[in-house]
Amino acid sequence: MVKKSIVPESLLPLRPSVFHILLALSDGDLHGYGIMQEVADHTAGQIKLGPGTLYGAIKRLLSEGLIVEADERPDPELDDERRRYYRLTDFGQKVLKAEVQRISQMVSVAQRKRLIPKTRS
Amino acid sequence: MPRQRLFHIVLFAYPRDFRHEYGLQMEQFFRDCYRAEKMSRGHLGVGGLWFRTLLDLARAAPREHLENLGKENPIMKNLRRNALAFLGSIALIVIAFLLMSYGKKHEVSAILAFGRILDALMTAGIVGNLIVFLLVAVTRFNPLRIALWTMLAVNGALLLVTVLVGSKVDPAFSLGGVLLGYIVSFLFWFTLHWFWSKASTTQAVSSES
Repeated sequence: MVKKSIVPESLLPLRPSVFHILLALSDGDLHGYGIMQEVADHTAGQIKLGPGTLYGAIKRLLSEGLIVEADERPDPELDDERRRYYRLTDFGQKVLKAEVQRISQMVSVAQRKRLIPKTRS
Repeated sequence: MPRQRLFHIVLFAYPRDFRHEYGLQMEQFFRDCYRAEKMSRGHLGVGGLWFRTLLDLARAAPREHLENLGKENPIMKNLRRNALAFLGSIALIVIAFLLMSYGKKHEVSAILAFGRILDALMTAGIVGNLIVFLLVAVTRFNPLRIALWTMLAVNGALLLVTVLVGSKVDPAFSLGGVLLGYIVSFLFWFTLHWFWSKASTTQAVSSES
């Protein structure tokens, strides 16, 4: 069930697997295997989500209204009809942004303490 | 294909609802991973995939089962609790019977006394709680008051029957031991009902607020 009164910050900090799944979906709709590939890509293969972790997280994200099952398929011609695609909701987007903001604040603190070099934009 | 059948079996470690909702997706996911690993790294990749999958199973399946337990429907929860209480009572009666037999046979008075208390506790508990349950369900009296009078009446009646019958049947009958058993039983059950009534009042207040 979607809890509409929840503020995004109340769901923070996100579990690493949840954060990576939301990040993967921020580029567009993906199915389970696509999410796993995307996560493996942007973590340089460090995180390879297993089926139980992935679908357990998807179940919770659906119930909290952070993602939904997508009606349209990116390329129906080339794809298996049985696959389910997932899409980030507006609320999911807000939660992801709030988490990124939280992490960037942590990074700023670490930079001030000279634990990591400052990055130039 | 054997690998798919094996993964299908692995899925049985997850709760039924979860398997029903995501089982096919997970099988598809595993097929995709298997194909990719076999093409890129051969048997070594497939071995690694199975290792990761089983590690993931050990982490994810207990979490799903725990989550399921947390949201179990209240009727099932009550049934489970009642069944556990019933089985627990039967087990305690058997223990009480064995203790009393052992105490009588070996003339160990401490075990015999403990067995008598346990016996009173369980007999009065089963009979008394059944009556309390029925009265609470069919009348509108205060449940705590029902528990007080029922437990008093049941323990008193059982004490009387035990004194009348036990003194004639049992050569090792001890009035003091039996009396102590039923006093402990009454105090135990009434205190328990008092705690239950306090707990349910607190729960009702917190759910209203």
